[in-house]
Amino acid sequence: MSKQEVLGKRPLLVLEKIRENLERLNEKMEIMIELQKHGRKDIQQPLADAPLDVMTLLSMPDHLRKTAMTLCRMGRATADEIALQTRRARAVESAYLNQLVIMGHLKKERSGRKAYFFEERENQG
Amino acid sequence: MMLGKIVAVHSYKGGTGKTLLSVNLAATFAEHGKKICLFDLDFRAPSLATILKIEKAEHWLNDYLNGMCEIDKVLIDLSDRVHNGGKLFVGLANPATEAIRDMSAKDRKWEMRALGRLLALRTSLLNDKGLDYLILDTSPGLQYSSINAIVIADLVLVATTFDRSDVDGTKRMLRELYDLFEKKTEVILNKVLDVSSRAGKDAVQTKLKDIYQVPLLGVIPCFCDVLKAEGGVIFAQEKPDHPFARILDEMANRIDGMT
Repeated sequence: MSKQEVLGKRPLLVLEKIRENLERLNEKMEIMIELQKHGRKDIQQPLADAPLDVMTLLSMPDHLRKTAMTLCRMGRATADEIALQTRRARAVESAYLNQLVIMGHLKKERSGRKAYFFEERENQG
Repeated sequence: MMLGKIVAVHSYKGGTGKTLLSVNLAATFAEHGKKICLFDLDFRAPSLATILKIEKAEHWLNDYLNGMCEIDKVLIDLSDRVHNGGKLFVGLANPATEAIRDMSAKDRKWEMRALGRLLALRTSLLNDKGLDYLILDTSPGLQYSSINAIVIADLVLVATTFDRSDVDGTKRMLRELYDLFEKKTEVILNKVLDVSSRAGKDAVQTKLKDIYQVPLLGVIPCFCDVLKAEGGVIFAQEKPDHPFARILDEMANRIDGMT
């Protein structure tokens, strides 16, 4: 790659990085907004590795149960994919999914610009 | 192509006739030419093996949920018992005392993984094998295995009687279980006395709709023949003209008509 090409790509990379950071910031703000809305009652102590079994699903507030159930069915999904199923806004689903991650029920993994949410069902058997 | 459905048969109390309904509903669908799978998810009191007179199974549903085998190994083909070209497969719960004890001692993480494996059945059985219905016979009340079955089901059939504690418990479950999981639910009132007349039947139906506020799939009178058979006769196959089999036939048609 020539020096000119490298220099030409640099602003693009910087912009990509800014966009990525803005997305992460946006995600954090969505969580804060949801926490404010629900008065932090849904999230007590952040739990490490709390299995998402049916009894846990039953005891969840309705708005989180819908998201959790949808993810259970899909196995692994982005907030966009969950929003398509629940017919709620992507931002809302993103906030709920992140709440479930904080509560220890879900895991989150980034793949490029996409954030995937999933249940950890390792050690089957 | 119409996708298959998962139907869970559940109740608040034991003895409401879930297993008999599950077996006969599965047999009825098969006699209608459908491709059916019937699972015994009552791991605390397995009974399908006895009712279906299956002496031995190589693999059990317990093994599938434990991640020790794939679902194909569990399925037992009983299609030779079907008269109309339908297919009937069953998956059995292990009735050995040790297996029952083992299933009773599972922790939440295991139950979560079991739910994952049950959810995978939609792909492996309904989509890949092209089954029309997967019917799940469950344990009564709020057991992990029953709630897992309810979560994966498209339709929950609640078997109930006019026993007062059963009515109260069923009402609670409708509100606090099926509603929370947003499940399509239909009630089957079983073992009803005095429904020989049209007026008696209508009165029972009105009373039931008032109590539960959910659709009623059917009312089954208390048939002496069914009690006398002691669970040894599958009416849908062996006595298709019996009133019990005819009621099941109507129910199967109504389920088929649901979108």
